[in-house]
Amino acid sequence: EIHIKEPVEKEVNPRLLPGELLLCEASTVYKYMQEDGSNRGTYGKLVCTNFKISFLDDDSASDDNEPEFKNKIVGENDVTLQCVDQIYGVYDEKKKLLTGQLRKYPERLIIYCKDLRVFNFCLRYTKEEEVKRIVSGIVHHSQTPKLLKRLFLFSYASAAPNNTDGRNGTVMFDTLEDWRDELERTKGNVKFKAVTTNEGYRVSEKLPLYFVVPICISEESILKYEGRGIPIWCWSCHNGAALLKMSAFPKEQDDSTSQMQKAFLDGIYKTISKPPYELLKVDDLSSSLPSLQDIQTAYTRFKQLFLIDNSTDFWATDVKWFSLLESTNWLEIIRRVLKKAVEVAECLERQHTNVLLIEETATDLCCVITSLVQVMMDSYSRTKLGFQSLIQKEWVIGGHSFLDRCNHLHKSEKEEAPVFLLLLNCVWQLVQQYPPAFEFTETYLTVLSDSLYVPVFSTFFFNSQHQRDTSASGESLKTQSGPFRFLTVWDWSVQFDPKAQAFLNNPFYAEKPKPDKSQRKTARFKHQRQLSLPLTQAKPSTKRGFFREETDHLIKNILGRRIGKFINSSDEPPNNLKEFYDSWHSKPIDYHGLLLPRIDGPEIKVWAQRYLRWIPEAQLHGGGTIAVTAKILDLMEEVQSLQVKMDEEHSQAVSGDVPSVTTPRNSARLSSLFPFALLQRQSVKPALPTSTWKDLEDEDDLVRRDDEFLDLSGDMS
Amino acid sequence: VENVRLLDRLCSRKAVLGTLYLTATHVIFVENGSETRKETWVLHSQISSIEKQATSATGCPLLIRCKNFQVIQLVIPQERDCHDVYISLLRLARPVKYEELYCFSFNPKLDKEEREQGWKLVDLNEEYNRMGVPNNYWQICDVNRDYRVCDSYPTEVYVPKSATAHIIVGSSKFRSRRRFPALSYYSKNNNASICRSSQPLSGFSARCLEDEQMLQAIRKANPGSDFIYVVDTRPKLNAMANRAAGKGYENEDNYSNIKFQFIGIENIHVMRNSLQKMLEVCELKSPSMSDFLWGLENSGWLKHIKAIMDAGIFIAKAVAEEGVSVLVHCSDGWDRTAQVCSVASLLLDPYYRTMKGFMVLIEKDWVSFGHKFNHRYGNLDGDPKEISPVIDQFIECVWQLMEQFPCAFEFNERFLIHIQHHIYSCQFGNFLCNSQKERRELKIQERTYSLWAHLWKNRADYLNPLYRSDHSQNQGTLHPQIAPCNFLYKFWSGMYNRFEKGLHPRQSVTDYLMAVKEETQQLEEELEVLGERLANLQKSQLCDDKVESKQQDESKQLRLFTSNNSLANTPQEYSNDLKSFPSRSPSQGDEEDSALILTQDNLKSSDPDLSANSDQESGVEDLSCRSPSGGGCLPSEDSGKDSDEAVFLAG
Repeated sequence: EIHIKEPVEKEVNPRLLPGELLLCEASTVYKYMQEDGSNRGTYGKLVCTNFKISFLDDDSASDDNEPEFKNKIVGENDVTLQCVDQIYGVYDEKKKLLTGQLRKYPERLIIYCKDLRVFNFCLRYTKEEEVKRIVSGIVHHSQTPKLLKRLFLFSYASAAPNNTDGRNGTVMFDTLEDWRDELERTKGNVKFKAVTTNEGYRVSEKLPLYFVVPICISEESILKYEGRGIPIWCWSCHNGAALLKMSAFPKEQDDSTSQMQKAFLDGIYKTISKPPYELLKVDDLSSSLPSLQDIQTAYTRFKQLFLIDNSTDFWATDVKWFSLLESTNWLEIIRRVLKKAVEVAECLERQHTNVLLIEETATDLCCVITSLVQVMMDSYSRTKLGFQSLIQKEWVIGGHSFLDRCNHLHKSEKEEAPVFLLLLNCVWQLVQQYPPAFEFTETYLTVLSDSLYVPVFSTFFFNSQHQRDTSASGESLKTQSGPFRFLTVWDWSVQFDPKAQAFLNNPFYAEKPKPDKSQRKTARFKHQRQLSLPLTQAKPSTKRGFFREETDHLIKNILGRRIGKFINSSDEPPNNLKEFYDSWHSKPIDYHGLLLPRIDGPEIKVWAQRYLRWIPEAQLHGGGTIAVTAKILDLMEEVQSLQVKMDEEHSQAVSGDVPSVTTPRNSARLSSLFPFALLQRQSVKPALPTSTWKDLEDEDDLVRRDDEFLDLSGDMS
Repeated sequence: VENVRLLDRLCSRKAVLGTLYLTATHVIFVENGSETRKETWVLHSQISSIEKQATSATGCPLLIRCKNFQVIQLVIPQERDCHDVYISLLRLARPVKYEELYCFSFNPKLDKEEREQGWKLVDLNEEYNRMGVPNNYWQICDVNRDYRVCDSYPTEVYVPKSATAHIIVGSSKFRSRRRFPALSYYSKNNNASICRSSQPLSGFSARCLEDEQMLQAIRKANPGSDFIYVVDTRPKLNAMANRAAGKGYENEDNYSNIKFQFIGIENIHVMRNSLQKMLEVCELKSPSMSDFLWGLENSGWLKHIKAIMDAGIFIAKAVAEEGVSVLVHCSDGWDRTAQVCSVASLLLDPYYRTMKGFMVLIEKDWVSFGHKFNHRYGNLDGDPKEISPVIDQFIECVWQLMEQFPCAFEFNERFLIHIQHHIYSCQFGNFLCNSQKERRELKIQERTYSLWAHLWKNRADYLNPLYRSDHSQNQGTLHPQIAPCNFLYKFWSGMYNRFEKGLHPRQSVTDYLMAVKEETQQLEEELEVLGERLANLQKSQLCDDKVESKQQDESKQLRLFTSNNSLANTPQEYSNDLKSFPSRSPSQGDEEDSALILTQDNLKSSDPDLSANSDQESGVEDLSCRSPSGGGCLPSEDSGKDSDEAVFLAG
C-alpha cells in the first residue's frame, strides 16, 4: 500500500509520494483548456518534482466530483518525467522545441506526453524568476540524459520499503521453479530443460538467470558464444511443436571466425532437427519484418496525428484523415506483424514444425512475435494472470531493453523504438475482434501502456534481469538496508482502487467451463432449452462437426491431389498459409482454442481508446463503446446484488434490511472518452451558424434531467 | 445447368460444384455432394450487373453483382450454356412491367384480412397526430386531392393554417415539379418545424408573391421565432448553375426574414460513382492497409455520409436548440431533402429511434413524399443514370449513429440490413413505383404485401438488447458532435462486405446480449408453467395433508436446484451456448425464406431466420428431449420468486 502524505499546508500543495522531492515551482500559471481557441482555462501552480510535473488548480474545490476511474499515482494534471515526450516553448507565436540550455524563456509552454495528452501553459502572468526556474527545471529533468540511479524508482523504493508481495499469482520467471512449472504446463519437459548455466551471469548479462533449452544442448555450447547461436525455448504447442528464439551472430569480418560460427550453427541445427525433435523452420525476423527504425518512424508519424494542441490543427488533420493514417504506415506494420504471427502459428499448429525465430539479440521483434503467437494459441495467455506472466517471461525476464527502447534515460534516440507498444497494439486488434476470448479489456491494455512511464514500478525500467539485480543490490548497499524490493506493475491495487479495477476485467469473458459436475449439468440443461426455442439464432453452424465435415470433404474431393502437393512442398507457403487462415475462419470460434486475427485491411483499426481519449472533438456524449461497457457493468452489479439478496433468503437469514439494488451507473452522462478524459467539457466550436452558446446551457439541462432520472429510478426500486 | 462451379471470392481454389437453376424469380445454385445440399438463392431483382468473362480452360466464368453487395462468381463448363444463362439473366434482371416483379407473385399465405392489417401497421395520419398536428398553426389541406397540384406528393399534406389554397397553388407553380413547401416534422415543444419543397424557379431575378407568402406563413406558424432557415442541401455551385436553367435558390432580399444556408451534398451521379469506387475497394482480395485506406478516402463515400449527417445535425440543432423552423430543399426535393429531413427527425425525436418509429419515418419522408424508388434502385429497366444509392446512404447514416450511440436505438444492424435488402428485392410492395399516385393506380396494397408487417412479426430478431426506453438519452435529442469528425465515421463492413464469410465478425456483444435476453424469456415462460403447477399443487396440498412432509423435502431439493440455475445467470455462463452461436447472415436467411415460399411447402416462411436445412430437425429433437419444466420436481414458492428476480434483472 502506498501512503500518500496529506498536504501539510493549504490545498495548493502537491501530493508527494514517499521519496518524492519538490524541485521547483511557479505560481499563477495559466493552464488553457486545450480544446478550443477561446483561451479559457484556470490559474494554478506548476511544480516539478523528481517524479512528475504537476499542475495544481488554485480552486481545486471540485473534489466533490470524485471520478469513478482514477489513477492513485498519476493524477489528471500530473505528468511523470518519463511520460514527457516533447516540450515546446512559444515565443511570439512561434513554436520552438526546448531541449538543453535555454537563453530565452518562452511565454507559453506546450508539453506533449507519451500517453498523448497535451498540456498548454501560459507563463505570462508568472514572475520572471519563477519562469526561469520552472522552465529550465522541467526541461532539465525531463529532457536531458540521466543516470540510472537517479530514476525515481530508487528513491521511492528506499523511502517506501515494499513489504507486500503483490504478485497475485503472476508468474515472475525469476526462479528455476517458475520455468519448470511452465515446461510442465505446456508439456514441453520431455524435450526441453531449464538450465542454471547462467547463474552468476556466467554466460551473458543479456540472458536471464534461468532459461530453457533443448535437452540435447550441452553447457559448453551455451558458454561458447555467450549464448549466441543457442535456441532458447519460449513455448510448446499442444502437439509438441515448440517455439524457439535465438540471438544471431554479429557479422564477422574475420573469415575463420565466421566459418567456425557457421560450423557451430550447423551442428546445433543438426542436433535439434533430429528426432525426437520435429522438423525445424528458421525465420530470420530482421529480414522478414520491418526494422526497428521503420517502426519508430511510423509510430512517430502516427502519434503526431493525435497530439493535437488546438482545434484548428485538429480540423486540418480531419479532412485528410484516411490518407494521413495511411501515410504513417503504422497500421500496415501492425498488419505485417499479425500476419507473421499467423504464419508461425500455422507452422506450429498444422505442420507440427518447430519454429526458430532469429534476431540480433532476440529481445525485440522476437518478443512481439513469440508473445502474439502465445496469445493466439494458448488461451491461458488471454487471462489476466496468463498475459502478465507472458509479459514477464518474454519481455521483462526475457531481456527486452525497456530502458533503451523507451529512452527513459534520454541516452540515445537511436535506440528508441516502441516495440512493446507494438505488441499492445496487436493484442488490442485481437481483443476488439474477439471480445469474449479475453479476460481483460482494452482499458487494461491502455493503462498498461500508460504504466510504461510510471517509475514507481520496476517492471519497465530495466534492460535486463542482470541490470535489475545488480542495481537493486548495488544501490541498496549504500543505503545499508537489504536489497531493494521494487513494486511490480501487476499489483494493480497500487494504481487503482477496486471500483476502478472493475474496468480492467471483461464482463464478456467466456470462462473456461469448469469440470464441476453440477455446473455441467446446468449448462447442458440450458443448452437444450436454448435450442428448443424456434427463434434462437441456431444456424447450421451450431454443429461443429458439420463444418469439419464440410472442409474435409472439400479437401478430399475438390482439391484432391493438389493439397497433397502443398503439404510436401515448402515452395508455396503463402497458399498454405492462406488455406490455413481461410479454413480456420470458416469454422465456428472456440474461444479457448486457437485464435487467428483477421488481417485484411478493413479489419485493422486504430486503437481509439488509447489514441483519441484526450481529444474532445472526438467525444460523444452518452455514446461510444463505453456506453455498452457501462451498461454491462450495471447489469453485472445488479446480478451480484440480487445474488446476495437471494443467498440471504436462502440461508434463512433474518429478513431485515434488504440491501437496495445499486443505482445504475449513469451511462447517458458518460462520454465516449470515459474513463480517461473525465472533467473535460464539450468543446464549443461553432461549425455552422446554428450552434450558439446555448450549447452549454443545454448541456447543463441534460445533466439535470439525468439527475431526475436517477431519482426516479431510486423511487421505483 | 449442371456441373457449375461457385467460386469463393476470398480463396479461388475453394470452389463448390453444383447445379444452377433459373426460375421465373430466382437464380438458384444447389451444391452437389454434401448431404445438406446448400442452396444459394438470388432474386432477379437483386442483380445489378452480369459480366461474362473470357473463357478459360476450366470453363466460362460469369460474374453476377448484386444490389445488396453480394458478388457471385460462377464457372459454367460449356460456353453455350453460359451464353444462354447470360442472355436470360439479362432479360430477367431487367423487367419492363411492374407485374413482372416478385411481389406480385410472392404469397406468404396470409389471408386478405391479415394483409390489410399489415398495410395498416404504419399509419401516417396517426403519425401526424402524434407530432401534434393539426393544431392552431397547422392544418391538413386538400389542395392536392386527386394529385391535382403535384403528382409526386401525397394527397394529404400539412401546411400552415395561414396558407390559403391560392397561396399554395401559386407557390407550387414557382417550384420545380410543383413540389411546394409542406410539413415534414413538427416539434410540439417549441412549435418549430421542418418543411420540405423543391427548388424555386427563381432564375436570376424571378419572384413569386405567393411563394414569399408561403414562407412567411411557415415562419408565422412558429410564433417563438422571427425568422426561418432555408437550407439548400446542394453545393452552392450546383445551385448557381441551376439559375441559368430558370431554377435556383431563394434570394434573401426577396423573402422577409429568412436565413439562407447551403450545405454541400453532392448529386446522385457523384454518389453513384463514389459507391462504385468504394465497392471496388471491397472487392479487392485481401486488401493491404494502404489499398484500403487510400481506396476509402478516394471514394469519398464517408465524406458524403458526413455531409448528410452535418446537414441533419444543423437542422436538428436549429429546431431543438434555437427553436427556429427550417425549410429544406435540393433540386427536386426528393433525394437529398429526404435524406436530410429524415436524419434530422431521427436526431430530434426518440420515437423514430424505435422500430415502429423508424418504419413510420421511412414511410413519411421517403415513400409518401415521392422518393423515386423505381428509378433510384432500378426495379424496372430504366435509365442507368437515374440509379443512385440515396436511401442506402440514409441507412448508413443511421448505422453510423448506432455505432456512436449504441444504446439509443431500439433496433439493431440486422434491421437496417434487411430493410436495405428489401428496398431492392421487390418482394414486398412498399417500395414499388415512384410516387403514391402510381402506387394507388397499381393497387399495390391489394396485390402485394407490406414489408413492415413482416418485419414487425419478427421484431424479436431486430431488437437492440442495449436499448432502454426509460434511458434519459432515449427521451430527447441526440447530440452528436457539432461537426462530427471523420474518424468517428467507419467503414460499414456489415453492409458492404456482408457476404464475405471470412471477413464477418461472428460474435458481437449484441448477439451475446440477445442470447441472454432470449434465455431470460425462456426462464420466464418456464416460471409461469412452474407457477401454475404450484398453484395446482397447493390445491391438492389442501386436500391431502399427509403428503406434506414429503413435499417439503422435495421443495428443498428444488431450491438448491434453482439457486444453481440463477447463479448461472451471469453473462459468462452463456459462453457455452454461445460458442455454437455464430451470427447469422440475415439476408441469407431471407433468401432461404423466399425459397420456401416459392416451393410453397412451409407455412413458417414468414420467419426469415428459420433455415430450411437440417436445423429444424435438431430443434425438434431438442424439444422432445427437453423434459417438460424440470420433470417431476415441484417448486417451492420462494425459489420461484428468486428466479423471477433473476429473470427481471437480465431483462
